[in-house]
Amino acid sequence: MNCELAHERIVTAAYGELPDEQIHELERHLLECAECRGEREQLHALKILADAYAVLEPEANLVARSRLRLDEALDALPPRGWLERFRQRARNGLASLTAAPLAASLLLLAGLGAGGLGGFRVAENRAERMAAQQLAQTARALPTAAPAEIANISSIVRQPNSGLVEVRYNQVIPQQIQGSMDDPAIRQLLMLASQNAASAGVRDDSVGLLAAECRTGHGCQATGIRDALMVALRYDKNVGVREKALKGLEPYVSQDQQVRNAVLEALLNDSDARIRTAAINLLEPVDADTSVRQVLHTVAHTDENPHIRTVSRQVLSQMPEIQ
Amino acid sequence: MTASNGANAAQSRMQSRVQDRAPEMELIREAQSGSRAAFDALVRQYEQQVLRLALHLTGSEHDAEDIYQEAFLKAYRYLGNFRFECSFYTWIYRIVTNLCLDQMRRRKTRREDHAVVLDHSGGEIDLLASVSDERAFSNPARELDRKLMGEKIQGALGKLTPRERMVFELKHYQGLRLRTIGEMLNTTEETAKNTLFRATKKLRAQLAELR
Repeated sequence: MNCELAHERIVTAAYGELPDEQIHELERHLLECAECRGEREQLHALKILADAYAVLEPEANLVARSRLRLDEALDALPPRGWLERFRQRARNGLASLTAAPLAASLLLLAGLGAGGLGGFRVAENRAERMAAQQLAQTARALPTAAPAEIANISSIVRQPNSGLVEVRYNQVIPQQIQGSMDDPAIRQLLMLASQNAASAGVRDDSVGLLAAECRTGHGCQATGIRDALMVALRYDKNVGVREKALKGLEPYVSQDQQVRNAVLEALLNDSDARIRTAAINLLEPVDADTSVRQVLHTVAHTDENPHIRTVSRQVLSQMPEIQ
Repeated sequence: MTASNGANAAQSRMQSRVQDRAPEMELIREAQSGSRAAFDALVRQYEQQVLRLALHLTGSEHDAEDIYQEAFLKAYRYLGNFRFECSFYTWIYRIVTNLCLDQMRRRKTRREDHAVVLDHSGGEIDLLASVSDERAFSNPARELDRKLMGEKIQGALGKLTPRERMVFELKHYQGLRLRTIGEMLNTTEETAKNTLFRATKKLRAQLAELR
């Protein structure tokens, strides 16, 4: 063993990372080499010196302050939308394909082909649309725009040495679309409305329509409608909206665990007794799930509403005992 | 017979490790499906270690607090991407070490002397003075020596590159295996070992006068 290698091994040995067989080899070298013995002593001295700058446990105040600040930041984050969760699930699904490289490669190639073709078509259509829009805009005399169409004025610049003033403004252009419930664009807008609409009435309408689709088993899962209903059940502030979402989820309680979890959460946490009662009724047929039993047990003891406590107890008593 | 006993012991160790990790995996899955309570439980589990590392590396309570905040917010945001390919401990440490490296690189340009660190309100805390020496023969002169020595160590650590500083920190002060350090820093065990070797060599050269 040469001294250069020995110096490296002295460091790894000092930190307990040298394999046993190499330790013997190093020891033999050290017996013969005074320079390397000196190297080892110097390293031990360094380790002792380095400990003078000790690692301190963080003070309780610092931990508490950091925790509080984090809690505030997390509270301020908006709940993750169905689209984000769907994307995340898709990403994870794709990642699992790495175990099947051939399938992944084929999928990638197919995706590239379809994406390229689709992109080309989209770009073509967009170019046509933009050209048409530009023509329409230039044809329209700007000063005649009704004040209601102007959202805001972004800047005003007076041209020097001329009587001209340049005003930049933004317009709000309302749009509308008509189509059947099978139309993907209509479904997309309804799902957006179920989460983002400021008006409870609009959310109520959209969730009502989506729930009706789910109850008839009409393309409820593939397009993410079920996710949108679960989000509405969990987060919507309006009790009517939550009630409709719950009804829409009814057909899936027995087969979809995520739906069941959402209903269980509603039973445990929803502030409205109507929702909690409806949740019990939905869960009644699902007696195979131990989490249902646990939640019902909790509700039977802790719910503030005596009727809900009684109903929970009744449902529990009718369930067969776990084997 | 002995070999079979050894194999059994190794197997039972592995089983107990898996069992130990099972509740954590469950927590991670719950947090991934949107449970804030599960995420909070994960934070509680790792916050001390995160703060300890950040505080020792940056020497500033304020920076450590920022790193804590940013690390757990990142973890919350990207928890869905965690696919159990490494331990959660490695994953969260990877986030923290990256943030600390960024912080140290920024500091390198400012070249702050952090023998004295700043607390939350901007007041000065002498880290070394707060390290008590409980040995019976401790005395003020010895405390002073110890403090001066600690300052020199901090100065020498500050002269390492951020990556060398990080590897030395994780190995010497946090006691992690080189393999884990490699995983955390997205590099190999061999590279981590070479970096540790370079770090000790530089430190020894700088601290030669103390011996």
